[in-house]
Amino acid sequence: MYKLLLCVRYLQTRYLALICIVSVMLGVATLIVVNAVMSGFSTKLKDRLHGVLSDIIVHSDRTDGIEVLDDNPDPHKRRPLTPEQTVAKIMASPAGDMIEAISPTIDTFAILQFRYRGTVIAKPVQVIGIDPASRARVGGFKEFLVRQRDLPGAPTFDLTPEARQRHTDNVKQYTLREGANVPAPKLGPLVKDPNAIPEPDENAMTGGIEKPQLHGIILGFALAHYRFDQDGVTVEEAMLKPGDNVRITTAGGEELKPVFGDFLVTDYLKTEMSEYDRNFVYVPLDQLQRIRGMLGRATSFQIKLKHYDRDKVAVSRELAKIFDSPDVHIATWEQHQGPLLAAIDVERAILNLLLFMIVGVAGFSILAIFSMIVSEKFRDIGIMKSLGASNWGVMSIFLGYGLLLGTVGCVAGTGLGLWITANINEIEMFLSKQTGVAVFPRDVYYFKEIPTNVEPLRVAAVNAGAVLIAAAFSLLPAWRAARLHPVRALRFE
Amino acid sequence: MLTAKNLCKFYRRHAVEVRVLNGLNLEVRTGEFLSIVGASGSGKSTLLHLLGTLDAPDAGEVRLDGARIDNLPGRARDALRNRTFGYIFQFYHLLPELSLLDNVLMPAYIGHSVLSWWQTRAQWRRRATDLVAKVGLSHRIKHRPRELSGGEMQRTAIARALLMNPRILLADEPTGNLDAAAGSEIVRLLREINREERVTIVMVTHNLDIVAATDRVVRMVNGVVTEDTSAGEKPWQPPFPQPRLAAV
Repeated sequence: MYKLLLCVRYLQTRYLALICIVSVMLGVATLIVVNAVMSGFSTKLKDRLHGVLSDIIVHSDRTDGIEVLDDNPDPHKRRPLTPEQTVAKIMASPAGDMIEAISPTIDTFAILQFRYRGTVIAKPVQVIGIDPASRARVGGFKEFLVRQRDLPGAPTFDLTPEARQRHTDNVKQYTLREGANVPAPKLGPLVKDPNAIPEPDENAMTGGIEKPQLHGIILGFALAHYRFDQDGVTVEEAMLKPGDNVRITTAGGEELKPVFGDFLVTDYLKTEMSEYDRNFVYVPLDQLQRIRGMLGRATSFQIKLKHYDRDKVAVSRELAKIFDSPDVHIATWEQHQGPLLAAIDVERAILNLLLFMIVGVAGFSILAIFSMIVSEKFRDIGIMKSLGASNWGVMSIFLGYGLLLGTVGCVAGTGLGLWITANINEIEMFLSKQTGVAVFPRDVYYFKEIPTNVEPLRVAAVNAGAVLIAAAFSLLPAWRAARLHPVRALRFE
Repeated sequence: MLTAKNLCKFYRRHAVEVRVLNGLNLEVRTGEFLSIVGASGSGKSTLLHLLGTLDAPDAGEVRLDGARIDNLPGRARDALRNRTFGYIFQFYHLLPELSLLDNVLMPAYIGHSVLSWWQTRAQWRRRATDLVAKVGLSHRIKHRPRELSGGEMQRTAIARALLMNPRILLADEPTGNLDAAAGSEIVRLLREINREERVTIVMVTHNLDIVAATDRVVRMVNGVVTEDTSAGEKPWQPPFPQPRLAAV
């Protein structure tokens, strides 16, 4: 009984102990905030990494795409399957029941060129040829399209009337600027390749409305916009608007030679993942096939499973039988992003280890302050022993005191940590305003706000660790108190 | 009742061995009020610590009702100090964080777990309140030690020592830090307790004024008993004239 009484009394009367409580509180609060932010980043990043990738990706290094042969009994007479036939073959396999959707794509490097304020700008990009409807079915596409995400139906590369008008205006302005003798840039691909697609039939008019034959392109948001700081405010300006003309230059599929095509911007992809928003451009699959001279071929298959966690291994195994070639790689989205995901986890683990040292420092302050308190309480220890307190009883007082300090510090730290986490964006804005330095530069992270995710289990683990450290560091002073000889303690001045 | 036989206690200070008790023999009888006198360094307080199991002798033995208590395991000695012996110190030794009542209740707190305390707390509080009233401090029951005078603190310590109904009170210079009036009051209180509660008291003092109030006086010199008023018929006389204690 006396242990509990004295623990509480010491807590109420020893203001020195407040230092221990504050140390533990700050350590716990820091760990909770950092973990919540790291978890927020990690969760959001994983969501987005998964977002643009399907569950399973089948990809070939061959420039002319994946080659899957038919099942002709005569090996010499086997012919390569088209992407559609390949999809049908996969769906007919045992894996077919576990697959929700498949989308063949062409995925390759390219140069994006466009005019902005009178100068030609070139950017290296990753061009992906897709069938927008099937690509949307495997997920991670339509929900990131700035214009079409809320529209009903499958996404398309079609131009809006406003985009068409802008294109028409662009052509007029070009004609005025360059003179009537200079032909305006043609619509459609300006391809000099024999496999080039035919130019759109400008005369094909129906009821005075043009047929949507212009080839659209969906650009990563950051490719089409640039940010700059204006009087402390980050301004985002569109370099390319829907209806503007861009040129994609890439390498041919069959032979390594430059090929290119012109497209009109129709939408933006905004994943808030700077890697994707700065690099990805989507064009119609058939157009890219024609430009690259690889009709009826695809370099990748994006596959969405009905139950990812349950079926990923089985489907990967089945796919390995169908795509039986060393140049074809089959990977889940996690394997595909393995290094990045591993880096996040390692970073988080190291950060936790380093930050737990804060609690370690709090532990040392407990050790120092407890040693002082024990020295101060020599006589009290002697009195208690003369009244019949056991060594273990005296030790329990100081161990309990340490536990109590740790618990109070943890409760306060958890409250503070959760409050900071809940208000982290307001705090960041306040600090940025006061210091004039962006604490969280949004253009670097490409998040609108600091993402947070409080994991109750992790909060519990931080608390348990902190209480354990507080108790462990009070062990030595408590042991010293317990071993104190009562006569020496009573005579202590 | 409480017997010390050939008690020896040495202290080692640097390389020098100091013999504090040197084969001391003493028997404390049931119900008596015994005072131990002697010069500073004669070993009075050390003897009290050994009798009360606060310390262990280097040689010899201490027996309570014929059973050795100096070599008991720690737990048993703790229990003896909690229930059989009551301590009163020169410097009162109250716990500064606790109120007067909590200080008096401390032996009961120590002797009970949370659960057993919860079950018996009312009776302990009643007893503590009665004892506080007996020592005349009812009006100070919620005060902290720093708010009490020396005499009041010593009376609190006496109430604390009596809480567990001990058989023996061990008082180490209980008036050493008090003025004459307060000292007289404390001795009067101890005498009253001795008579009314039938508690054996062993009091160490170097104040010869107060020994006349006790039943028996033992004199110590260099760690041995040199005089004991119970040994002969002649009552013990101080070596020089002493003023008589008033109101004892």
